Amino acid sequence: MENVVTHEDWKVGFSELAPGLVLFARQFVRSIADAEDIVQDAFVRFWRKEHSIENRALLFATVRSVALDLLRRDARRARREANAALDLEQTTQPQFDFDDGSQRELAAAIDRLPVDQREVLVMKIWNELTFAEIAGALEISQNTAASRYRYALAALKKNFVAHE
Amino acid sequence: MNDFSELEADLKKLRPREASAQLATRIEQELAEVSGRTATATAGVLPKQKAFKFNWSALGLGLASAAAFLLLARVNVDQLPDKGRSLGAMTPAPSVAPSEEKDTFVPSGLTQVVYDTRDEGLHFAEGASEPVRRVVSRKRETLQWNNAQTGASLRVSYPSEEVTLIPAAGQ
Repeated sequence: MENVVTHEDWKVGFSELAPGLVLFARQFVRSIADAEDIVQDAFVRFWRKEHSIENRALLFATVRSVALDLLRRDARRARREANAALDLEQTTQPQFDFDDGSQRELAAAIDRLPVDQREVLVMKIWNELTFAEIAGALEISQNTAASRYRYALAALKKNFVAHE
Repeated sequence: MNDFSELEADLKKLRPREASAQLATRIEQELAEVSGRTATATAGVLPKQKAFKFNWSALGLGLASAAAFLLLARVNVDQLPDKGRSLGAMTPAPSVAPSEEKDTFVPSGLTQVVYDTRDEGLHFAEGASEPVRRVVSRKRETLQWNNAQTGASLRVSYPSEEVTLIPAAGQ
């Protein structure tokens, strides 16, 4: 018994979660379009398995899994992403709406973070997951999740101040 | 964490870009396609429902078998059949008069009707010094129980076969 056609609840939940999910997926790829493809695939999988949308750790774990599968499947894409990572500012689509130059700098500093710190930061700041949920999604300990978060903030503070 | 509170506030001011309107539409279409595939997988032929269907005849047969088994088992314990009956006889068993009227079934009769007797000739049993004549009797036995208190009675009738070996020297 699938809930995909009988329940329309997913639209409500998804509209609230979509920006954060796309932002999270965007940490693995360099275009919004790819990130949305990942979110689409992940959300359909998640919903078809009738998981509760309250289970955000599992939802983010699904997005991450789909993203990593995509990268593994497509070596050409992986190479492109690796190359893009070397030259972020030229190839990366912005993932935030900016009000001013300061925010642009901050967003650029986020892009320079290692991916393991960025994914924790994105889940914590813009998706408001707890460290327990983050740990569940990434299959790491809560201490590790909290450490990565602190490292990310420290690195941002250092880089952001340096660029200011 | 207090060192980062200002930075965290700045970060929260950054607004993630909204997902495109097409994303929700695409998800909706994919979910619909998935459900459509599920719906058309049967091609209009509904899978046979595994409805519970009570088989009354099987129940009746089972109960009758169980009752017969229980009654026969009780007879075997309470009333050993008499092996010394002669062939071709109709032998009404002596009815058992209950000493007390209890609400229970008491064996009240055993009837054996021999309807076929077949002499299979002389046989030499293993280790026997003399031949024996093998006589097979086919009969129908009827057992009856009465409940003295309620007046109810039970009868069980079943076919049986008895093989009798008669020493040839004694003939």
